Amino acid sequence: MAEDNDSPRNGRAIGRRTLFRTGGAVIAGGLAAPAIIRPAFARDTLYVNTWGGSWTENATKAFFDPFGKANNVEVRTLSPVSFAKLKAQVETRAYEWDVTTQGLPGLARASKEGLLEPLDESVVDKSKLAPDSIRYGCIASHALSTCLVYRTNKFPNGGPQSWADFWDVKKFPGNRSLQKEPGQALAFALLADGVPKDKLYPFDLDRAFKKLDQIKPHIKVWWTQGSQSQQLLRDGEVDMMSMWNGRAVELIDDKVPAELVWNEAEMVAVHWVVVKGTPRAKLAWRFVQFAHQPEPLAKFANTMNYGPLNPKSFDFIPEAQAKRLPTWPANAKVSFVPDAAWLGDNLNELARRFNQWVAT
Amino acid sequence: MARPDVRAWLLVGPATLFIFLLFVAPLGEMLWRSVGGADFTLKHYETFFSTPLYIRVLGHTFWTAFVVTLICLLLGYPVAFVIARYGGKLGGLLLLVVAMSMWTSFLVRAYAWMVILGNRGPVVALLNALGDPNPKVLFTTFAATIGLVHLLLPYMVMAIYAVMARIDPAHLRAAASLGATPGSAFRHVYLPLSLPGVVNGCVLVFIICLGFYVTPVLLGGPQDHLIAGLIGEQIEELLNWGLAAAMSMVLLVATLGVLAIYNAVVGLDKLWG
Repeated sequence: MAEDNDSPRNGRAIGRRTLFRTGGAVIAGGLAAPAIIRPAFARDTLYVNTWGGSWTENATKAFFDPFGKANNVEVRTLSPVSFAKLKAQVETRAYEWDVTTQGLPGLARASKEGLLEPLDESVVDKSKLAPDSIRYGCIASHALSTCLVYRTNKFPNGGPQSWADFWDVKKFPGNRSLQKEPGQALAFALLADGVPKDKLYPFDLDRAFKKLDQIKPHIKVWWTQGSQSQQLLRDGEVDMMSMWNGRAVELIDDKVPAELVWNEAEMVAVHWVVVKGTPRAKLAWRFVQFAHQPEPLAKFANTMNYGPLNPKSFDFIPEAQAKRLPTWPANAKVSFVPDAAWLGDNLNELARRFNQWVAT
Repeated sequence: MARPDVRAWLLVGPATLFIFLLFVAPLGEMLWRSVGGADFTLKHYETFFSTPLYIRVLGHTFWTAFVVTLICLLLGYPVAFVIARYGGKLGGLLLLVVAMSMWTSFLVRAYAWMVILGNRGPVVALLNALGDPNPKVLFTTFAATIGLVHLLLPYMVMAIYAVMARIDPAHLRAAASLGATPGSAFRHVYLPLSLPGVVNGCVLVFIICLGFYVTPVLLGGPQDHLIAGLIGEQIEELLNWGLAAAMSMVLLVATLGVLAIYNAVVGLDKLWG
């Protein structure tokens, strides 16, 4: 896999490798450059990596402003979220941000690459966390789902209800789009081929790619950004696609004739990550503990249509809205959760093969 | 010519230091990484040259750059000619339009093309009216090429115009007075004089195009990705920075190869007029 993280940095002695790494980690340095410019004394400022747009806006209202006010801390946000940058920062020890978010598969990968700061129990009070909310030493925030979404005006007599339907181009003709996300596309392909939800992992890769071959000519575009996915469905570039549940709800609320299918949605639990080695780790852990509390989390999840991963948050969310969230029991029951450990071990290899497959 | 003395070195010192720190050193680091650093290995280069996709995309990148350069030349030459030959208000206006399009963000221009070529755009409407119920316009090589041409055309126009502006109109009058038809005067006098601009424009457009990738990703299909996109993917998604560095080196060497041919044929110093 990535060959640049083979030796953990235990010692501080400056050897040839260290010199090379710190002095010249240029790809990494390029990614983390602003940190060099920023003075190191800003200790009462917390830098949080966010997704930008409405994500940042709502997280600021729900988390950053209240936390900053209560603790006399300035919270600054930087986007977009980048796994490469997370790795670059740990490698160069130049920290542009201290906290970020990752879905469970990304978390497993980050853990494997040694990018996670271990949970600091002197700061985090575990008794105040929801049960089962710690994975790889990171604290859970929210869940989002990637669902099958279709245009209702294209299918007035009922649209596709499963990935098998999505693959059925005779029964449901039309242009399609999927996210360029290897772990997800392969899972959808296996589901379409009749693999039960609980038998998806480890992937039968040859079977999955064979199934993907069938749908490839009908995929008009492999989308990569949330806003791009909305544009594709809103403008009718495609008639059915995979889409994040929050993005789909926004379209539906915007009167776009679209329907979201919870059946066989991929539900990913997102956790807060404290970047390994950051000098502001203690402050970061205080923030993460705050963000996990029922009320701020409810506020954020509610506005973003995410499922809060602290069950007590549901006390603060009206039932009509809660029913539209991924973690609502009826929705969660028909969804599937990717096997983070397996994906974390295999994501690089999957992505390599998948990206080549897409481009040929 | 005077021998460079201490003062000359002082004059170039800051720029040299700047270029060394921010260009040569990082480039050296890339080279270092591409061979696995201290644990010397050529496996990244092996991976590159043994993966058919990478070779294909590298070839496709050069082919795209060639096609885009050719179209830019065919479109740009007449525009530069009109600006240089007739000048005045029309020339000023045309220059302004060319410069404005250069100053507009390339993302904005890519999204504008998405609207124009998209399902609800005028192009699809026209094709529908002509009897094609489901034309494929957006997310094709055609769309990617249009986007790139739009992006790089200003460079071509500017490069050619810069040379044409210095052509003395008296040459053409002299040719006419000796009995040349306008067409023949253009072919035998004006065209050869403007050729350095053509070559400059072509090299500029070609080389900028080699390193581009956002526009084809947004407007083209999966097959239209350029090599820079694959390099970005290796860095961002696959975290394989060694391979990314090796791919960058291959692209760099290939680009230098093009420059070397240019240098042999025209001379690099001509690039700046």
